[in-house]
Parts: sequence; C-alpha cells; structure tokens
Amino acid sequence: MSFEPKIVSFLCNWCSYTGADLAGTSRMKYAANIRIIRVMCSGRVDPTFVLKAFREGADGVLICGCHPGDCHYHEGNYKCLRRYKLLTKYIKQMGIDDKRLRLEWISASEGKQFAELANEMAETLRNLGPANIKDKLDFFQKTKSVNEDENVEKEKMEAI
Amino acid sequence: MEEPRIGVYICWCGTNIAKMVDVEYIAEEVKKLQNVVVSRNYKYMCSDPGQDLIIKDIKENNLNRIVVSACSPRIHELTFRKALENAGLNSYLFEMANIREHVSWVHTDRKEATEKAKSLVMAAIKRVGFHESLAKRSVEINPASLIIGGGIAGLTAALEIADTGKQVYLIEKKNSLGGNLAFVDLSFPDLSSVKQILDPKIEKINKHPNIKVFLNTEIDEIFGYVGNFETKLFENTKSEETLKFGNIIVATGLKPFDPSVIPEYAYGKLPDVITSIEFEKMLKEGIIRTKAGKEPKNIGIIHCVGSRNNKYNEYCSRTCCATGLKYANQLRDALPEAGIYELYGDMRVFGKGCEEFYTQTSRKDIVFMMFDQRNDLPKIKANTSKKDFNMIIEINEKLSGEELNIPVDMVVLMVGAQAQDNAKDISHAVGISMCGNAFYIERHPKLDPVATTTDGVYIVGSCQGPKGIIDSVSQTRAAVSRILGTIAKGSVQVEVTTAVVNEDVCCGCQTCISVCPYTAISFNPEKNISVVNEVLCKGCGTCGSACPTGAIRSRHFTDLQILSQIEGIMSLELEEV
Repeated sequence: MSFEPKIVSFLCNWCSYTGADLAGTSRMKYAANIRIIRVMCSGRVDPTFVLKAFREGADGVLICGCHPGDCHYHEGNYKCLRRYKLLTKYIKQMGIDDKRLRLEWISASEGKQFAELANEMAETLRNLGPANIKDKLDFFQKTKSVNEDENVEKEKMEAI
Repeated sequence: MEEPRIGVYICWCGTNIAKMVDVEYIAEEVKKLQNVVVSRNYKYMCSDPGQDLIIKDIKENNLNRIVVSACSPRIHELTFRKALENAGLNSYLFEMANIREHVSWVHTDRKEATEKAKSLVMAAIKRVGFHESLAKRSVEINPASLIIGGGIAGLTAALEIADTGKQVYLIEKKNSLGGNLAFVDLSFPDLSSVKQILDPKIEKINKHPNIKVFLNTEIDEIFGYVGNFETKLFENTKSEETLKFGNIIVATGLKPFDPSVIPEYAYGKLPDVITSIEFEKMLKEGIIRTKAGKEPKNIGIIHCVGSRNNKYNEYCSRTCCATGLKYANQLRDALPEAGIYELYGDMRVFGKGCEEFYTQTSRKDIVFMMFDQRNDLPKIKANTSKKDFNMIIEINEKLSGEELNIPVDMVVLMVGAQAQDNAKDISHAVGISMCGNAFYIERHPKLDPVATTTDGVYIVGSCQGPKGIIDSVSQTRAAVSRILGTIAKGSVQVEVTTAVVNEDVCCGCQTCISVCPYTAISFNPEKNISVVNEVLCKGCGTCGSACPTGAIRSRHFTDLQILSQIEGIMSLELEEV
C-alpha cells in the first residue's frame, strides 16, 4: 500500500475552521489525511504544539488563520506568522524538511481553497515520504534507557 | 483532580454521518479506552431523546465528562453544553468531535473516514479528561441599541425597539434616510407605493424621543462586548460623540451592480440603455422618455444583469425578476400601445403572490423571451440603418431556437445586488465575518439566522444576502425580538474562556503584555507578576503561546488540553485498559 501521510492541522475558530466547515456543508471532497484541531486564534498555536505533533508521528503540520487584516483578534495571525518563520528555521536545524510545516490563510468563505490545500499538502507529503520523527525519537529514547540500564548494572557490579 | 468518568456519544446524524462512518464500530472501540464508562451511538444526538440519553447517563453512571461526536461544534456545542447543565454538570466538561463537516461530508472512502473519525473521537476523549469546570460570568445589558444603516431594515428596527421605550442610535452614511428604497416607485407583487411605506416611518423616526439619528456618519471602530459596546462617532467629521449600547443591528443593505462591465449590454455607450435604478426615477417622475425626449415605442427589459453568471456574480439577486415584471405592468399602464419585451434567463418569481403576479403580467400582451444566461447573453447594438428605432437587441431565443433581432428605443437592465463597498470595514468594526461575496455570515443559516458569531451583533436585510422588503422586514423583526429578549432579561452570560496567570510561575517578564491586542494584561510591580483583566480579555490565547514559563493559561484551550488532543489524534492503537 502506498504511503499515506498524517497531517495535524490547527485552524482558528473564526475563519479557517469555519472555512473547513464550509467545505463540509458544500460536500467538497478531499483527502482524509488531515486531522483538525480547533483553536480560537492562530496566535494560540504554541510552537510546542507543532513539535508535539511531529513528536507524536505527524508527517506534516498545517496551521491556518484568517487573512492578514481579517483576524478576529486584530493581529493574532501576524503573531502566528512570526512564530512560524522562526519555527521553520528551527525544524530545519532539527532535520525536518520545512515543506512539512505550512501556514496558510483560509477565510470563512474559502471552503474550496481549504479542500484544495488539504489535497495539495497530502500530495507534497506523499512525495516526501514519512517523517519518521516518532520512530527515531522512540529508538533514541529506547537506546538511551538501555544504556542507562547498563550503567546502572555496571555501577551495581562495581559496588559488589 | 477527580478521576474522569467519560461518556462518549457517536451521532449518526440520520445517514449524514452513518453512511460514511462506521459509528457502531467506533462506539465499540472507544469503550476499551481508559476512563470511558459509557459509549453509545444514536441516530440524532441533538434531538431531545438524544440529549436525554446524555442526561440520564450522567445521573445513573456518575459521569463527569462528556464527548459528543457529531457535527461542527459551531452548530451544536451550545445545545450539548445546556444538556450537561440540565444534568447538573458544568458545561465546560464537554468536548465535541466534528465527524460530519470534517469527515463524512468530505471523504469518500468509508474505511479511511471511519479511521479518521475514530482518531478525532480519541482526541476528544483524551482532551476532555483535562477539562475543568469554569464558573459562568454574566454581564448587564445596556438597553440602548445601535443600528447601522437607515434603509427599510434599519428604519423598521429603530422604530420597533424605540417604541418599547428603549434608546436607539441610528446611523446612516448618506445624508438622508430610506436607503435604496427611497428611489423606488412601486413595490411588487401588489404594486403598492413604496413612499407610503417609507415616509411615515421616516417621519416618525425624526420625531421619536427615543431615537437619535446620525446622518453622514460612518462607524470606525466599536469597543466592548455584548451588553457593553462603545463607539465614538464623528458626525459630519465635526462633532465627536461617544455612544454606549448593548446590542448592534447591522442593516447596511446592498449596492446595485454596475453593468458597464458587461460588453454585450453597451451600458454607458448607448444612451438609452439604462439601469433599473435609473428607470425607477423615470417612473417616480411619471415621464418615460428616451434621451432624445421621445416616447419609446418598444422597450426591452433584460433580466439577471450581473447575476447568475460566473463572470460577474454567481448568485441570484432575488428581487430583479419580480421588479422586471413590475416594470412591464407599469409600462403597460403608461404606454398602452408600446411593445414590451421581457428577456430572461430563468424566471424566478418565488414568494407569496409572486407566481400569480407573473401569470397576470403574462396576460398583458408582454413578449417573454428566454436566453442562455451563462453562455450567450443578448447583445444590444445601435441601429444605424433605419430611423424609427435606435437600437437592436440580438437574442438567441432558447424556446424557439431562433436568432431574433428586436427593435427597441429603450432597454432597462435589471441590475443585481452586491455587497456595499465598505462591507469589510463594517465587518471589522463589529467583528463579524463575510462570505465570498462579501455578504455577512449568520451564526447558523437555519438555527440562528439573524445572529452572528459575535454575541450582541445581528445582521438583517440585504447586507446578509440580497432580499426584498418582505424578507428584510421579517428578518429585522426577528433580530429585534432577540434584542428585546436580552434587554428584558437584563443580563447575558458570556464566555469565560479567558486567560489566567499562575502567580507562582510568572517571572514578570511582561512578554504577555506586549502581545495582548486588548491591553487586558497589566503588570503588578509589587508582586512582579502579570495580571489579566477578565472583562477585557477575549480569550484569543496568544499570550498563552508567548509565555516562556507557562504561567498564563488560556482557559479551555490550555497547553495540557491541546497537547493531549494531539496525542489522541496521533494514537495509532487503542491503549487498552
């Protein structure tokens, strides 16, 4: 079976979540890879959430907010944009392809654009392949704990 | 914290969800999860029996957390929160998983859809375990109301509210009241005079002790929240006045479509091609003449100008067909011998008495011709060959299949409706959303059609979508009854999902203060901590994601809640008990 990426998506309540709802009420069809988490504002998207999603096995993270100038809270989307720029640099340093993290503006009327975006991102990630971050970290933690166990054993032996 | 005892309810929504998502399977699967005490699936969770199911389970099984997996929380979150309250449970101990708008309606593979729905339900279950009871806060309602727009909707709203003894501030950007209707002669389908509807209202408003009218005035910014709004007005850019009010009605109406962008109709090039707005003026004056001052012998009325065509506006403007028929009636009365041609794409005269009006009109020696509204508009050309008529309309008549040339002296373009140019400014000022056509979006088209997602802000009339007098007035009265209801109650409950500072963890760096868009956070130098003013805080949560120590929590959107939701969404296998 071909690889199907998992995408965690954070949508702001006022524009993007409503836009995704509109895609639903308009019965637009898109790839089932995307899993949506609602936040009140894209400004609420703590970089930790994005890293956590990758840590838990996401192949991509999509953040959507209101278009510039349209934020329900005036400027939360700008704050999100600033954090996103920094975060993109950070994940690159961690070895995560920056195509795996996207920030897009989706208004309450852009159901079609949301459906297209979901398809497009799924396709990009299919081509990129799995992120494997969870597996790597799980492996790292396992070996770390094994080493620790060995050390403990060593210490015990020495004590004896 | 007490051990969570979670009840999970998977809704079928009839076949809306159940046909694409295996609801029974999910209900069975999540039963295995830790802390899930009850897991059921039911046809319609939002119905009374559905809600009763939750209430009964809460009481019988001592449930303290509820997950409903159904439609969008934007539709039924409040419904289920109320059910929790009825069962004596705090309404915030609830989470919804959206498996209709975000799953069953948008996916085509039942297996994939079911897997996705399951992960969303698991995310909700994980999240709800960390939900906390939040105390409701109620605010007093200022009984005054602000009405933006002085058209038929705004005027009706002003009078209805003011007549109950409450203060109304009515603001209008133009220098007179009446809106678009002020230029209209008769109304359909009864051909009654618009003046007789409008003038008494305007007269009454100008004399009303409870209504203050501001002409030539536009809204810049509105502060506050439901019950306690405030704005500064600059009337005629001279005097400044601060108004305080509890509710807002947006009744900013519509703007007529500009037909000069349609090349086929040559508007602006041929002088006797006029818009319906310009024709109304002639009707009002009682003189129907061409630009050359002659009485027209043949008149064409073209429907759907700028409407129902993807090049211009995709939507139907709703009133133009009936108005076009109204013109045929008025023309027949004024010019008994004239040739009258109604050129239409589809005749859409719905509504009480309107279809009958169409039938009556068709018996008055009017020629009806159909054209392809999407692909083949009729063309208006100047007539250079003969002198007794000045234009020709070329039409591919759909019903006969013939190409016809109609000689005319005057063409009336039934221009459609568009959102106002300043629609976006108003939407920002009052904090509401617009659809792709810049009309305002209601909270729910069927369940809450006049309210918006901003409490205390209502939309009526054509700013919500094109509509005639009858619908505008009905909608206005609906909004007025909502407002009078909240005024009568005196107070309203507001969201309490604000930010809160953990004093022990706050290091006093003041990062939160610099990111807050509402200046809701201040610094307490004695304690060296930030303090949130919960009345000003709107709960956007941007401080929560900026705080380096995790001292600020966005209630109901805490780090722990969202992180656990991410865990739930990504958990591949069920963690069995």
